[in-house]
Amino acid sequence: MLSRVALKPVRSAIQPLRMTQTSATSNAAAAATSESSERDLVNFPRPVRQEFPAKVRMGFIPDDWFQFFYSKTGVTGPYTFGLGLATYLCSKEIYIMEHEFYTGLSIAIMGIYAVKKLGPATAKFLDAEVAKSDAALNSGRDVSIDQAKSKIVSEKAEQERALAQKMLFDAKRENVALQLEAAYREQLIKVFTETKKRLDYQVEVQNVQRNLEQRHVVDWVLRNVRAAVTPEQEKATLSQCIANIKSLAQQNTARI
Amino acid sequence: MAWGEYPAGYNPNVHGPYDPARFYGKADTALANVKLGELTAWLGRRNLSLGGIAGGFSRGFWRWQHKYMQPKKVGIAPFVQVTVGAMIFFYALNYGKMKHHRNVKYHW
Repeated sequence: MLSRVALKPVRSAIQPLRMTQTSATSNAAAAATSESSERDLVNFPRPVRQEFPAKVRMGFIPDDWFQFFYSKTGVTGPYTFGLGLATYLCSKEIYIMEHEFYTGLSIAIMGIYAVKKLGPATAKFLDAEVAKSDAALNSGRDVSIDQAKSKIVSEKAEQERALAQKMLFDAKRENVALQLEAAYREQLIKVFTETKKRLDYQVEVQNVQRNLEQRHVVDWVLRNVRAAVTPEQEKATLSQCIANIKSLAQQNTARI
Repeated sequence: MAWGEYPAGYNPNVHGPYDPARFYGKADTALANVKLGELTAWLGRRNLSLGGIAGGFSRGFWRWQHKYMQPKKVGIAPFVQVTVGAMIFFYALNYGKMKHHRNVKYHW
């Protein structure tokens, strides 16, 4: 959303008139502002606040005046003109040196001394104060810029994370495929075990049936054999057994 | 051009933000480049109405402001300039009284 706002063209109608700006910001500001098509930036560039004041000589006389003289009179021209004018004014007493003149002279000497002595330190202090106040004024904007930058960074990180989500989706898909495979195999095993159970049941049923039949046949044969054995046969068998035991006993006593 | 309005020649679409130090009319030769013979013609082209003169002073004031007073690392020069200007102005005001303090009677 922020990027969309940034892409919107800034309307020049709502741009404040900026008379006081440093040269560092002016070019960027001029480039960022969309101007009207008939705007003449060559002859009417945006006003820029100067970093340093124009050059002066002797504390207050504009250097431009000396430049004006140079092309016409050479280097000494302005000094000749100034001294000549001062001489004329004093000589004709247009400028009258009454008592206030000497007051002014002494004040001027004290002023020049004070400026030479305290000027650099004052300039340093005031420059520091100006820098401080500039920093204070810019801090809000700088904080906003930093915040926007950090937001862009976090937005990029979020986009990276969104890309990572794709990988995560793949992994999840794989996971689901594995789960499906596992479920399929589980069901195969279930089918196998169930079938085996049923077959085992059949085997067990047949086994039981055969056992029962066998037992029944054995019982039947035994019963029939028992029924077939008569008391005479039993007696003859018994007597035969006794005779066998006796003969065995005789053989064993001879050995003892 | 009524009171409190921009100069007639000023067009925001062409000139951008208004600069009170600028003349937005048709540019003429600068006074420093005018030859002595053309001086009267040059003066004849000046706008000597009350508004024109006031505008000229206003532009001069703002040009001085932008040049000496408003820069970021301003020195003591503008203050000295104001002081010297005031000295000359008040000397001229008091000249009638100063005259009596002349030290010599004849000047040649």
